[in-house]
Amino acid sequence: MTRLAQVINLENCIGCQTCVHSCKMQNNVPMGLTWNRVLSDGEDVLDGASGVFPNLSRTYLPVACQHCQNASCQRVCPTGATYRDDEGRVLVDYSKCIGCRMCMAACPYNARVFNWHEPVRDPDFNYGGKDVPVRPKGVVEKCTLCKERAAEGKEPMCVQNCPTKARTYGDLDDPNSEASKLVREHKAYVLLEEQGNNPSLHYFD
Amino acid sequence: MELLKRNKVLTGVLVLLVAAGIGCWIYQLVAGLTVTGMNNGTSWGLYITSFMFFVGLSAGGLIVASSASVFHIEKYKTVALPAVILSTVCICLAGMFVLIDLGNIQNIWRLIIGPNPTSPLLWDVVVITVYLVINILYLVNMHKGNDRTVSILSRFALPTAILVHSVTAWIFGLQISMEGWYSAILAPIFVASAMDSGLGLLLITLVALNSLKIFETPKKLISSLAGLMATCIAIDAFFIFCELLTMAYPGTAGGSIILSELFAGQTAPFFWIEVIVGLIAPFVILVFAKNRENTKLVVISSACVMLGVFFKRIWLLLTSFITPDVMGAPGIISGSSSAAHSTGLDVFAVLSSYAPTAIEIFVVLGVVSLGVLAFIWLTSKLVVEDAKPASTSESSPAQADGARA
Amino acid sequence: MSKTSGSSGGITRRGFLKATGVSAGALGLAGVASMTSADGWLAPAKAIAEPEERKAIICHQFHCLSSCGLECTVRDGRMVLVEPMELEDGTRGQVCLRGITEVQHTYTADRLQTPLKRVGERGEGKFVQISWDEAIKTVADAIKDCRAKYGEDSFFYRKSTEASVAHNYEFLASLLKADTGGRWGLDRGQANGSDPSGLTSGGLCLNSIYDWKNAATVVHLGSNLMESAMTWTPAFFEAKKNGTHMITVDFRYSPTVQKSHEWLAVTPGTDTALILGSINHILANKWYDEEFMKAHTSMPYLINKATGEIMGKMAVKIDPEVNEPVVDPETGETLEVKVPMVWDAATNAARYLDEAGIVPALEGTYNVDGVDVVTQFDLLKEQMAEFTPQWAAEVTGLTADQITSFADRYANAGPAIISYGFGGPDKYANADILGHSTSVLAAITGNSGKPGTGIGFYGIGGAKAGAEAIKFWEMPEEFVPGDSPVAMYDMPYEDNNIHCAFTFGDAFTLESGSANNMLDWVKTLDFFAICDIYHSSAVDYADIVLPACSKFESAEDVSDVRTGAIAPYVYLNQKVIDPLFEAKEDIEIERLIAAEFGLDKYMPQSNEELAKFMLSEPEGNMAGMTYEALKENGAMKLLDSDEIITGADAVPDQQYSTDTGRIELYYEDLLEHDLAFPQYETPQECYRENPKANDYPLMFVQGKSRYRIHAYYSASTWFQEYFGPVVNIHPKDAEARGIAMDDDVRIWNDRGEFVCRALINESVMPGTLFMAETTYNHYYPEGFLQNVTNAYRQERCYPMIFGPQIPYNDTLVEMKKA
Repeated sequence: MTRLAQVINLENCIGCQTCVHSCKMQNNVPMGLTWNRVLSDGEDVLDGASGVFPNLSRTYLPVACQHCQNASCQRVCPTGATYRDDEGRVLVDYSKCIGCRMCMAACPYNARVFNWHEPVRDPDFNYGGKDVPVRPKGVVEKCTLCKERAAEGKEPMCVQNCPTKARTYGDLDDPNSEASKLVREHKAYVLLEEQGNNPSLHYFD
Repeated sequence: MELLKRNKVLTGVLVLLVAAGIGCWIYQLVAGLTVTGMNNGTSWGLYITSFMFFVGLSAGGLIVASSASVFHIEKYKTVALPAVILSTVCICLAGMFVLIDLGNIQNIWRLIIGPNPTSPLLWDVVVITVYLVINILYLVNMHKGNDRTVSILSRFALPTAILVHSVTAWIFGLQISMEGWYSAILAPIFVASAMDSGLGLLLITLVALNSLKIFETPKKLISSLAGLMATCIAIDAFFIFCELLTMAYPGTAGGSIILSELFAGQTAPFFWIEVIVGLIAPFVILVFAKNRENTKLVVISSACVMLGVFFKRIWLLLTSFITPDVMGAPGIISGSSSAAHSTGLDVFAVLSSYAPTAIEIFVVLGVVSLGVLAFIWLTSKLVVEDAKPASTSESSPAQADGARA
Repeated sequence: MSKTSGSSGGITRRGFLKATGVSAGALGLAGVASMTSADGWLAPAKAIAEPEERKAIICHQFHCLSSCGLECTVRDGRMVLVEPMELEDGTRGQVCLRGITEVQHTYTADRLQTPLKRVGERGEGKFVQISWDEAIKTVADAIKDCRAKYGEDSFFYRKSTEASVAHNYEFLASLLKADTGGRWGLDRGQANGSDPSGLTSGGLCLNSIYDWKNAATVVHLGSNLMESAMTWTPAFFEAKKNGTHMITVDFRYSPTVQKSHEWLAVTPGTDTALILGSINHILANKWYDEEFMKAHTSMPYLINKATGEIMGKMAVKIDPEVNEPVVDPETGETLEVKVPMVWDAATNAARYLDEAGIVPALEGTYNVDGVDVVTQFDLLKEQMAEFTPQWAAEVTGLTADQITSFADRYANAGPAIISYGFGGPDKYANADILGHSTSVLAAITGNSGKPGTGIGFYGIGGAKAGAEAIKFWEMPEEFVPGDSPVAMYDMPYEDNNIHCAFTFGDAFTLESGSANNMLDWVKTLDFFAICDIYHSSAVDYADIVLPACSKFESAEDVSDVRTGAIAPYVYLNQKVIDPLFEAKEDIEIERLIAAEFGLDKYMPQSNEELAKFMLSEPEGNMAGMTYEALKENGAMKLLDSDEIITGADAVPDQQYSTDTGRIELYYEDLLEHDLAFPQYETPQECYRENPKANDYPLMFVQGKSRYRIHAYYSASTWFQEYFGPVVNIHPKDAEARGIAMDDDVRIWNDRGEFVCRALINESVMPGTLFMAETTYNHYYPEGFLQNVTNAYRQERCYPMIFGPQIPYNDTLVEMKKA
């Protein structure tokens, strides 16, 4: 089996948001939506800090679809529009989506966004990968681990463009992949493990 | 039709509201759900609240009617007809709210050709359909006076009525992502609150029909039903208390966040109004037998219960959306142009919020008005005209045949 | 001719598509029309059978000094993807969010689209569209009139990185002998103080950032790599992984602080006290490197106790490379330098440093021919005695322990580097002293000329060496810019003969403090034209506005020859897309204006001609990089560029660029200011004891944001979802003023005011405000931040290499809810 994933080194994440904009560009994500966020974890202001000056801390936390192996979004989708493919990715078949947004309620990571209206793009043409499908109004969308790039043997755009190489892309079912090694060596963890979604995205500090 | 013609002003207002609702809905279909207050943070709103509420309302009627048959409670049989009419209308409204909430309704056929059996939403579609069919069969057979068929149907109707509320609860209660939803007791709560709010609606309706001299309900029965409602309120309150205690006791971060919103946060008004107006007040009133004989007090209590349950739906739905499980700035991008400013920094919110737009409110009013019209029409057709010498029993032999088969 | 509003709010996106489609058609610009017609833009990609796709390589942002090599994908004539370029080893280079956002930013609604002529008052922002012909003629005529009336030096001309592609060339400045505004006053605050020591060059470090991994400690002195230069951060993490201890000195909990081991949260403008306190502690504990000081610094030189002058004799200055006297190119006279006197421990006598076999004594008080003398080192110890760690703790707000442990680590833990930022402590009126004291600290601890040592700005220097053979376009000798006696930032305050100005980019509000003063002066000019890509803050004050191409646009196949900083490549930038709207490349605009003076013949007639000239002798590490080869590849790697420059490589044999070849620490020319050795001086305005602080108690600091290079990228709508004109306020300061999160706040002082949004958070020190540099003024609810910044010119800096620097951060303000 294949289980495509990303392993993210939080020590190297400087919160620069390059991955966020790379994702928007590659996937033709319209204004007002995003598939990928870098949160200032637990803060109410971007680049804010916890504690009392000068005893402060801050963690940048990149969050996108976690490509869960036990994906609650996939389970609740009434039409099977959300599915897991052979590579372990959780994907959306936009042509099957009825826009009920059950998956959005079920996803603990808020990884999904909805086309509340006809997509508004700035610039107002389709940018990004030429094979990335254009999503209509009324469907849910989210990170695909850049499956169109993967089809060409390329890494996801966020991985390629990360200035600090904080992201590693690979197959967790292959024990020799760089991603698997990082998970083992750094005892990488997943977000909200207690919810049992068994995410493929892993993190280490 | 007679009733509709008799009350021209009311009918006119309702028709106007329905027309406005349809207009708003068409606008929503064209522009997208962006015209609602929903957004990526709070992705369900007034429509789903109303869906939950009307599924619940439809319960009271059918449970009363079917209990009458199943448990041979003869006195309930007298109100079975208006009760089932109510039930039928309410479940139709509930179904409409789900459809209106869909962003891509043109893909609805996908439900039939590619259903995902693990989806509670699919279960609900199936159960609501079955429930609706049973309601219609019930109505048709009652209308025709097929007591035996009604008796058989009631044996299916009662569990289906309970199931339809349970499944609706499971849409929410099975989602581990939502701290305020994920609870084994959610289905019992839904059944209990369906019972009390459904009885509330039934009581108000019966009193109204009484005063309009359309349908006479014995005063004793009103008191009896009010007593049943008081019991349901107590059970509802008990379940809610169990839920909150279970959430509060471990003192987890997630539980504390939900409780602090309920007690003093964004959804606190809805919570406290439910507790005080929706649970305590009507129970305290109806626990005294004397009060149950006072029709006015019964009606007021019923209205309180309905308001309380509606507010319960609101706080239940919205509280869990406020604080994301993975929280941090910049937060969640709204995605909806009317939920937030369409550009600039305000597209993000760390904590999610929601307020219905005029469009949503008009759509809901339109749907409810349609329901009232449908109820009046059905009452007119099945209750008023029935009471006349010329029976209309030949009106739908095909359906009756189908029911027999 | 349709009227357009000057402010961006006037034209909706849909509106301008229509407008430009029409006007482009009218002008017969077929290429522009195909780009800008609404049909073309709005057509869904699927409707096009097989989209034509090609890739182009360009060297992108040289303004942030990263100069990333980007591979741009163009589909149906539109730039749809920006990726880091593939390198020779098959990996990809670097990019950050600023490069990525160009997919939007290049097409953004706030682009200047057509030439505009002012119809309202200056600053009002009322314009009408005009043709290029009319615009060029108006500009040229205005320059002609001005020169005729006031002389050649009355025309001020400046190109800037914000709005120019070929910014290395200022053709018009030379051809018209224009005033170019003299010194820039930017980023060289510390350089004024550290360059004379020989430890920095223009404030830049001498070694490479990749030498950090050889250091035991790197001190980030007001530097915030994690936001200002994301593409350089691999050097940080490589070093950190290698065990380098990272210390960041910043008043704010910046992302760089977050990634460092240690944070020294000094009060803004007091960094010098930290350094002086450390010097004191190192001297007191004898943690200094005696041998290093004796051999490589000015510390043994003898000072005349009475006059403070260095004892020595004048001698002819010899160029060590050719071993010949150095001649002043202007006067033709041979230059003289002072050969200092030291106390020779071997002979126990005063001797000149150039004598053979002497062993200089580091310490001691002597009498030389009746003159009481003392070594620099003894004098330093004496002068530093007052700057105890306790004193420094009081000034900086740190604890004495923090200062002593910092000094201990810096002096004793192994090689150490001090990395400056551009945009922090350098933007105070006392920055020269900071540079000077940092030099002293490095020199007395021997932190120079060895791997993992050094001081300076570490923004440039990944490669072993820069491109060796890019030729510079030659024009006849007579064409040189004017003398430019008054710096542009001084023009509102000092007498000058400027009556006509033409700037590329927003020089006036970016490159000066106190914008109200500057813009009031601009309003007095007879004529002001601006050429910019975006509707920047100064545009509304211009008489003629010319739309420039972005770096991605060219009318030719190639645009510009560049060298990368982060990857050692030479680029021949390929055309990514055709010029958008009616924009023209800056070189083309210069050519059109030069033509009005009959001088265009001295300019390259095309990008191709210029590039061919620049690449006509590809030798050294550029061997083989012919025009044709580069045109084919877009970028080629410099030969022998893989090794990094360590501190040892940077200063071969510990020979510094000073007259003596040693690190000079005693600045005789500052004797009149009592600053021959550094002393503590408060900032000019921004210090707590300043009486002005009663009215304006908050320290207003600006710095870099990942969403900006100065004001650039203000117009990116992708960034606008994350960032805008926001001020970071400590919760205590907000509470005291009744300010809540996201409120609009008014910030003001005696120079001006502005309104922006409040972000309340603990990241900033109580009593300070932090804001990212500028943002075009029309994105603020009112005013903009340059209205409050300090325009003070430090008098003692005029004779220094870089002159007074604009002390933007030396600013006090007050704030209230707007």
